[in-house]
Amino acid sequence: MFLVTELILLLTSNLILTQALGTSTLFIAAGNRKNLFWTSVTITIFTTAGSAAAYFINDIIPLGAENLMPLFYAMAVGTLYIVLLTILYFVSRKNFKTARKYVHLSAFNCAVMGTLFTITEKVAENHQLNTMSGFILAGLEAGLGFILASLILTSAYRRLTSADVPASFRGFPAMLLYLGIISMAVYALS
Amino acid sequence: MSKKNSVFDGLFGDNTVLSSLMVISPVIMCGDKVKNALALIYAFSAITFISVLIGSFVPKKLPYAVKITIYAFISSLVYIPVKLMAQQFFPTVINRTGIYFMLLAVNSLIMVQTETKFYRMKKSRMFFSLIFYILGFDVVMLITSVLRELIAYGTVYEKVVDADILISGIGMPFGGFVFLGLFCGLYRKIRFIVRQRNGGKKNVSGN
Repeated sequence: MFLVTELILLLTSNLILTQALGTSTLFIAAGNRKNLFWTSVTITIFTTAGSAAAYFINDIIPLGAENLMPLFYAMAVGTLYIVLLTILYFVSRKNFKTARKYVHLSAFNCAVMGTLFTITEKVAENHQLNTMSGFILAGLEAGLGFILASLILTSAYRRLTSADVPASFRGFPAMLLYLGIISMAVYALS
Repeated sequence: MSKKNSVFDGLFGDNTVLSSLMVISPVIMCGDKVKNALALIYAFSAITFISVLIGSFVPKKLPYAVKITIYAFISSLVYIPVKLMAQQFFPTVINRTGIYFMLLAVNSLIMVQTETKFYRMKKSRMFFSLIFYILGFDVVMLITSVLRELIAYGTVYEKVVDADILISGIGMPFGGFVFLGLFCGLYRKIRFIVRQRNGGKKNVSGN
């Protein structure tokens, strides 16, 4: 029962299904299970580490200077981006060429930046969430939500791209309609 | 249409939203009202145009990740005056569009298309091509918002229109997904017909 409740919570707070964040990245990665897995993992790393950085950034930004937020967040994500690539390069030069594409795809997409903005928005409404652990957990939850949405899309990917679907709707349009239906179900749950 | 890329591609042949599915979250989430759409169109156009032009002066020899980070830095800087102006022109809309306004500062046209498309072109060609890619987003956003507002709320630009049937779900995020999916399918069908017709004409003239 606990798992079901957690799953419902993860669905109802899912950034893709409820806020359409990271949808295009999901579609790009959906074509290949390996791509989807590694993209999801990389996005989870970015959302979690980025959220931790956002916690400190929010302390630095003075009140009334919220317009600077994208600038600071972009700098934080940019630093993470370069650090992650550097780590990958030194850890495994052999796999660097393959692994770096996931980092490139994940760094500055809506799922990552949107997570940071969403968490900050939630904290502004509920100050009890304004803790380091609160930010990291929210970031991790957003990443897990992306993984869940990828699993939902992967399960129907073959059918949505099969020859049975009219050519004009095959692929992206069918995926959008499919996500719309899932999103409607999630809306009903929430 | 010929296989060679045209500067007008961004508007129809390779539309930013409908073909590449880029910058779709603002269309899905905020494209339910014309007022929201106009604010986002202004912000997207201003941020993207200025940022891509400034970014074209970043040395090409720098590593890819460094260049992308610099582009994000530039566009986040451009975002500040654009947001301040928007607060003057669209004071009520800014709060409604929430995080989607901020997300325009790191949109895919700046983060992805610059390196894969725009900066591989000559400056003059890039300038015109960029304008049409931006217009591609603007047109889709406007059409989507007019139709969704009409179908969902029976209004256009918050003016009541004589609409018999209202489907309020179209104004919700899931309605945005469904609407965009249908729009995308229709766009592909039209593009296919146009390409086929143009190809046919060429064959006829070739014969």
